[in-house]
Amino acid sequence: MTATPPASVANAHVAARPTANMRGLNLAYGKKPVLKGLDWQLHPGQVIGLLGRNGAGKTTLLEAMLGLRDLHGGTVELFGESGPQLSDATRARIGYVPQRSDLFEGFTANELLAYFRSFYPHWNTAKVDGLLSRWDIARDQPIARLSGGQQQRLSIIRALAHEPDLLVLDEPVSSLDPAGRREFLRELVDQVLDRGTTVVLSTHILSDLERVAFNVAFLRDGQIAVQAPLDQLLDTTRQVTGTREQVDALCARLHAQVLQRRALSGNQELALLTLPPGPAAEDDGLPLQAVNLEELFMELA
Amino acid sequence: MTTDLIFSINTGSSEPIYRQLIEQVRRRIAAGQLSAGQEIPSVRELAQTLAVHPMTVSKAYSLLEAQGLLERRRGLSMVVAAQHTHAEPSASRVELLRPTLEKAASESRQLELTSTQALKLFQQILNEGEKP
Repeated sequence: MTATPPASVANAHVAARPTANMRGLNLAYGKKPVLKGLDWQLHPGQVIGLLGRNGAGKTTLLEAMLGLRDLHGGTVELFGESGPQLSDATRARIGYVPQRSDLFEGFTANELLAYFRSFYPHWNTAKVDGLLSRWDIARDQPIARLSGGQQQRLSIIRALAHEPDLLVLDEPVSSLDPAGRREFLRELVDQVLDRGTTVVLSTHILSDLERVAFNVAFLRDGQIAVQAPLDQLLDTTRQVTGTREQVDALCARLHAQVLQRRALSGNQELALLTLPPGPAAEDDGLPLQAVNLEELFMELA
Repeated sequence: MTTDLIFSINTGSSEPIYRQLIEQVRRRIAAGQLSAGQEIPSVRELAQTLAVHPMTVSKAYSLLEAQGLLERRRGLSMVVAAQHTHAEPSASRVELLRPTLEKAASESRQLELTSTQALKLFQQILNEGEKP
């Protein structure tokens, strides 16, 4: 191993090798392209919220990243290893909560966990026991008799048990009530604090995403249309309505960039602008409106 | 004062969470509810309590330190900076409301409300908050 110069704290996660590195991913269902030359990098310790409309291909993308889908083109590297056939050592570093429960319904929770434990070199029994108790999961009942929310919690426990370095969560909390979701988010925060786990989280519950996802990525038209820290997007994005000429003139005055434009009726358009860093600009001409995550989703996803 | 009482966050806001945290600390210090030397929750503690990403909390704390509101003590804990021994006079505290009220005023003009209508609503909201 060669010595590397110390990276500053601010860009340490950028300097390090990406946890996941996807280049030029192509995938189609029949003639319908889903991923179109998609590039995406996940860096160590990042918590990334993956946003996209229904049918945008979020599940397909996550499955492709994990080597569970045959790609028509492109490459995926996880921890520096090229997929789709991953070594056991690399697999052991990944935790995955799929959108649809893939638990063996005839097993009990105890049997299921004992089974999975045999595949992993590392298993945190104390964490598993603690979570089973705290999340009130019956250990000796067939999984089929657990509620949807309990099955989802069990699936999360299974994914955390071997202390993965990459956690992939596809709609992990759709069956959980707000209290259950908060407990789950706290568990995620613990993972980040204690282990620096890289997390990708796909969910439509924006309030959850906003809390834990420091970065957000918007999947649209088969590509990652925008990826940035959410703070930065909220700080620098403004919404404005006017004619195309007015919007362009405004951008020139403020040194802003058009992030997204959408035609409205008449000759009006709605544009999202990215302001230059620094104190938020004001303009006498067109009112600039701050946006929240939901409004960003409406325009960017 | 417990962490829950000092900090709360609104999701769905256009104000990022780190800025919500900064403004809450600023207001508590201005009102004298937090004063010099008082320890505030660690990044870990606050991130866990609020279920937010720890970087969001550390970003807020670093900016509060840069603005002279917090100081880093030896070790890792942050305390309210030494000069904030008393509540600020109400004349300067009320100025902290200005940005929020400017925004409300601009929206009120867009809605073509009279000042009487807008003030009546503000009065009503203030009264609601005073009920036990």
